[in-house]
Amino acid sequence: MNLTASSSEYLQINNISKHYGDIQALKDVSFDIRQTEILGLIGPNGSGKTTLLEGIAGLIPLNSGTVLHHGKILSVPHRKQQMFYLPDGIMPYSELPVSRVLEFFSRLFGVQAHRMNTVITQLGLEPTLGKKVKALSKGFNRRYLLAVALLSTQPLLILDEPFDGLDLRQMLGVIDILKQTSSRGRTLLLSIHQLADAQRICDRFILLDGGKLLGMGTLEALRTKAGITEGGLEEVFLALT
Amino acid sequence: MLIILSLLTGYSFVQAVNLFSQASRTALQYPEMARGMDPYRGVFIPTFGALYLVTTLLFPFTAIKLISSEKHSGSLKLLVQSVLNLRYIIAVKTAALTIGWLLALVPALSAVAAWGMIGGHIFLPEVLNLVLGYTLYAFVITGIAFFAASVTSSTATAAILTLAFTLGSWVLDFAAGTQSWLHSISSVSLTALLRTFEHGLFSLSTTGQALTAALGFLVLSTVWLNSGTKLRWKLFRSLVVITCSVMLSVPVSELRVFDDVTENRSNSFNPADEAALKQMNEPLTITVYLSREDSRRHDYDTNILSILERTVPELTTIYPYDSTGSLPGTVSDDKYGLIEYDYNGIHDESWSNSPGEVLPILHQLAGQTVTFSEVQQYPGYPVVTDAGSSNTWFYIILPLVFLLLWWFTNRLPRNRKKETQ
Repeated sequence: MNLTASSSEYLQINNISKHYGDIQALKDVSFDIRQTEILGLIGPNGSGKTTLLEGIAGLIPLNSGTVLHHGKILSVPHRKQQMFYLPDGIMPYSELPVSRVLEFFSRLFGVQAHRMNTVITQLGLEPTLGKKVKALSKGFNRRYLLAVALLSTQPLLILDEPFDGLDLRQMLGVIDILKQTSSRGRTLLLSIHQLADAQRICDRFILLDGGKLLGMGTLEALRTKAGITEGGLEEVFLALT
Repeated sequence: MLIILSLLTGYSFVQAVNLFSQASRTALQYPEMARGMDPYRGVFIPTFGALYLVTTLLFPFTAIKLISSEKHSGSLKLLVQSVLNLRYIIAVKTAALTIGWLLALVPALSAVAAWGMIGGHIFLPEVLNLVLGYTLYAFVITGIAFFAASVTSSTATAAILTLAFTLGSWVLDFAAGTQSWLHSISSVSLTALLRTFEHGLFSLSTTGQALTAALGFLVLSTVWLNSGTKLRWKLFRSLVVITCSVMLSVPVSELRVFDDVTENRSNSFNPADEAALKQMNEPLTITVYLSREDSRRHDYDTNILSILERTVPELTTIYPYDSTGSLPGTVSDDKYGLIEYDYNGIHDESWSNSPGEVLPILHQLAGQTVTFSEVQQYPGYPVVTDAGSSNTWFYIILPLVFLLLWWFTNRLPRNRKKETQ
């Protein structure tokens, strides 16, 4: 837990709404992201997590809502200066070897070679460097994508389902890497649908269901809101829905 | 694509050379016939026909893949969050495709070189102008393909949209003979762009219009690739881009800079005639009583009007039968076949569609006496030769080179682990 830094607000998300025709994907979602915290966006499949993240990153147009950075409106063209969003279910440059793609992104983000090598070592990607991206297993593909995200240099890192496809040991390793990333000064916003996984890493939580914000805060705060004295995130979520 | 292009170009070249050689056997005995032996029309245009087919039918897919693969693999979402913006991404993609295009030119240009090596005559300005025409054609297709890939959600739809433009040009050319409004639209079709250069004419306005169209489509691609923008903003920006492109193309179309780059000056009159025509400062009106389907009208348009349009400052052409839509053989008008000339209040008319008879009429209307300039007569370049020796190049070596190039660019890195550690 990074309690010291959590008092400093980094981004303020205000009244975000998004609808696709008659379907309301997000309705007046507001929350704040604090400097260097690990904030978990929790919700079942179809709750609007990805829509919310893509909206914050400026990759899809929103019907309403604003993103404030230190109190000032952060326009869509300027968001990439503050945040990097790693979508779920992508396979960039599938025909190229992993090493070539990582070198490409390192140059793109202006990252030194030793930093790239550190990320490769941290994620255990050495055996895959000579392989084409499309030949990677699900677990390696997830770690390859995480490597791309960790090479980015923006202060806020937004990851959509970062543990999807990882086994328990791999997931614990990635949790450790993400905690180190946070402790080095980066802020993380993670979308996670497995509540137990979220509880392992996140400082605070945003509970989303049906495009609406159910609650926000630490586990203790959410317990209070749910009216329960003990139990994990699963119990809180069930109590609030 | 490059391998197919190599095979097609080789076949076209060998066939064209064989036909040219057969015609040359007779022409070598008669100087008058020899003057008709033009390697540009006889060999180069048919050989470049293979490039036309591939550029029209296969090249768009390469262009579409460049954008679609980025969209569908998620790469684009990552790229737009880096220091790169969409304008830069599109520019880099265009540059990458340009390299591909230069490779695509290799078979056709090697055919030109092969023609020279087997004793054929090459007039370089003609070839360069043809290459420029094809390059502009490919550039416009690139713009269309990028735009199609940007605006659609699947590669297949993008391909259909692009082919609607390219193959639509064929349909438009075919249909142009039936309706006057289709005829007007067909003048801006993609094939019309290429035809100008194939005729050995460099036109600054055509070049400018092609560049404007291509750039317009590329800018539209950046508008539609921006996933974070609302639809109404995309539509508004598209409208702005289209308006700007149209506004730019209007003055560009007025650029009257032409150069007949053919060695036999097939797009020009005698220099003395052209000098006299350029001095016709009053409006000249030509009324052509011929229907669009009449071959005499086609000859008149090609051999006389197209040159007059570039030389006479104020020319108006009227086709009375275009509005009535008469078909050949159905016209009972006594004037059918007549061509009237009105200049400075003076009227003349003729049934001829030959420059030798029409030009004196125009000079007489303008009150000018023209003394022909002595110009070197085009000798023609008949040659009896055999292109069979180039089969190995087009059918084996060049495809192998392209195959090796593909392997080289797609090979997996060796000992990458050691390099990165």
